[in-house]
Amino acid sequence: MTGVVLAAAIGTLFALGTFLLLRRDLIRVVWGLAIISQAANVYLLAMGGIAPATAESVPILAGHGEHVPETADPLVQALVLTAIVIGFGMTAFALVLSYRVYEEHDTLDVTELGESE
Amino acid sequence: MTAMPVGTASTLVIAPMLVVLVAAAGTLLLGRHPRARTAVSLAGGAGYAIAVAAIDWYIVLAPDAPGIATYQVGDLPAPFGITLVADGLSAFMLTMVATLGIASLVFSTRHLPDGERRSYYFPLFHFLALGVTGAFLTGDLFNLFVWFEVMLMASYVFVAYSGGPQHTRAAFWYVSLNLLASAVFLLGVGGIYATTGTLNMADLAQRLANPAAYGLEPVPVVGLLGLLLSVFAIKAGLVPFQFWIPTAYRAAPPQITALLAGATKKVGIYAIIRLSFTVFAGAEVAIDLPLPLVGVAITGDSPLPFIGAALFVMAAGSILLGGIGAVGRDSMEGVFAYSSIGQVGFIAIPVAIATTAAGPELRRFAIIAALVYALNHTLAKGLLFLAVGTVRSATGTSRFADLGGLAKRSPPLALAVFVGSLALVGIPPLSGFFGKFLVFDAAARAGSGPVLVLLLVGSLLTIAYATRLWNRSFWGARTDAVEAATVDPVQVAILVGLAVAIIAVGVGFEPVYEFAETAAEAALDTEGYVDAVDPQAASDLGGLNGGGH
Repeated sequence: MTGVVLAAAIGTLFALGTFLLLRRDLIRVVWGLAIISQAANVYLLAMGGIAPATAESVPILAGHGEHVPETADPLVQALVLTAIVIGFGMTAFALVLSYRVYEEHDTLDVTELGESE
Repeated sequence: MTAMPVGTASTLVIAPMLVVLVAAAGTLLLGRHPRARTAVSLAGGAGYAIAVAAIDWYIVLAPDAPGIATYQVGDLPAPFGITLVADGLSAFMLTMVATLGIASLVFSTRHLPDGERRSYYFPLFHFLALGVTGAFLTGDLFNLFVWFEVMLMASYVFVAYSGGPQHTRAAFWYVSLNLLASAVFLLGVGGIYATTGTLNMADLAQRLANPAAYGLEPVPVVGLLGLLLSVFAIKAGLVPFQFWIPTAYRAAPPQITALLAGATKKVGIYAIIRLSFTVFAGAEVAIDLPLPLVGVAITGDSPLPFIGAALFVMAAGSILLGGIGAVGRDSMEGVFAYSSIGQVGFIAIPVAIATTAAGPELRRFAIIAALVYALNHTLAKGLLFLAVGTVRSATGTSRFADLGGLAKRSPPLALAVFVGSLALVGIPPLSGFFGKFLVFDAAARAGSGPVLVLLLVGSLLTIAYATRLWNRSFWGARTDAVEAATVDPVQVAILVGLAVAIIAVGVGFEPVYEFAETAAEAALDTEGYVDAVDPQAASDLGGLNGGGH
């Protein structure tokens, strides 16, 4: 069940990101990129698999009694953390850059930008 | 020469990265002291060259060298920690980048933009070098992604560096494309982790070679490798991912463009070679892909023929599009940017031949050809982009319309550009001759007529644009801009130095060939790579939890 929900969420995010990426407005393009990188992060998390956790795969659970919830693979969580930080930084940079583009070209329209030499 | 203790060789692997990191931090702290900043920067460059030379000698080339050395970061055993690996292939690439990097660094001290931005130039330069070095040395797929990002972040800033309207626009396209590429990279990495349960390259190679023992179903790696290939092709600028190259290369400062063409492009090529041959070559996947439309069937028992078919098409497109595009440009850097697209096609052709090679001998030979050609491209294109910088700082322009008669204005500059252009064309005894010769030879040994014709057409196009560039900017009547030019002697000295290096590689080709041969053997030696990294089986995890480390 979790798997189906995750797959649907990832698919929706990628679709939304792609849609925004193809817009003419530069800010929407940045939004699209941000959403696509988040979609990739969720995908990465899902790739570790969702399984009933054991003390062997998540050592800290050993001291937490009988109840062990379903968890994602801890390794991909570490990877995603790195990817989130990189994605966050790059989105901020892309936003600043699009502001600079607006300052210099007086437009955020991709088509007009392509025409101005 | 006595053999080094294992610990020293192991520390040596991380040395170039540490040197560059210290140089980056040092130059960042010394931002307001120009003299000290430049001194630290140059010292960092020298330290880097020494570290790379030490890797070359003690790990790869010395008679009693181990051939490969690893550094397990934090002393965590593979595949749990991050592994850094220096072998022949890494050493060859590092040497190439170090040579051009030093030239570009010294050049940078003579050709810097004004104002506040100066303070950030050298830190960024070293971070770019750090990313490239990390990518060459890492033995972990996700870590490769991280080093790609480090390298890209520095290059983003450099593309926007000059701060004009075209530069910010070029930077925005460049950033957007690469953000998308990073997401695709993550998709590939995630898929490979889900398929194989590991991201350590040696562990990956070991598991893929024996999927039954690990309970894996390796078929998805073919498509996932395809995803990764597209990311690396973007970095390398292969058709159909070449469109960012002309704008980005025009926007970045010329001495950085030299590095983008000479170093970051080669990271893409390196990643293709490393992953295809060292890691994925052993994967047993039956491929049977009939393509009725073109009348070719792709068959084989590893993912390589699939990659090879894609690479052939991409390389052929690059050679043609790059060559034809370069003939019609109206500025020096425009010609060289398109020429870069074409030249990377010449590097990708032998890689493609190697992936589809029938026997190990041809595969080895084709990789050697690719590496020698890559070396030639790094030296020659590095020289030519630096020459664009010299021409620009001397005359204030690099457009053909404003240039002419440079040959008489500065004969040494003209001579250096002449040597660089001839190396691109492939005239003996320059490095380019052997590069072209080996690529043609590899195609002939593979018995592929169409590829030979393609290479010939590509070479003719190279002659056409090199001649045109020469006629338009170095011959003819001197223009006002050229008349008023003051050519910086240090810049010209660096260009002449690179030209001498090109001639030296060509004249003393034997050791270069041997180094490339060692590198190609290292790329193909999956077993040696796995043995050196020594990834432990998951059942050994107990040792890790026991706190023994």
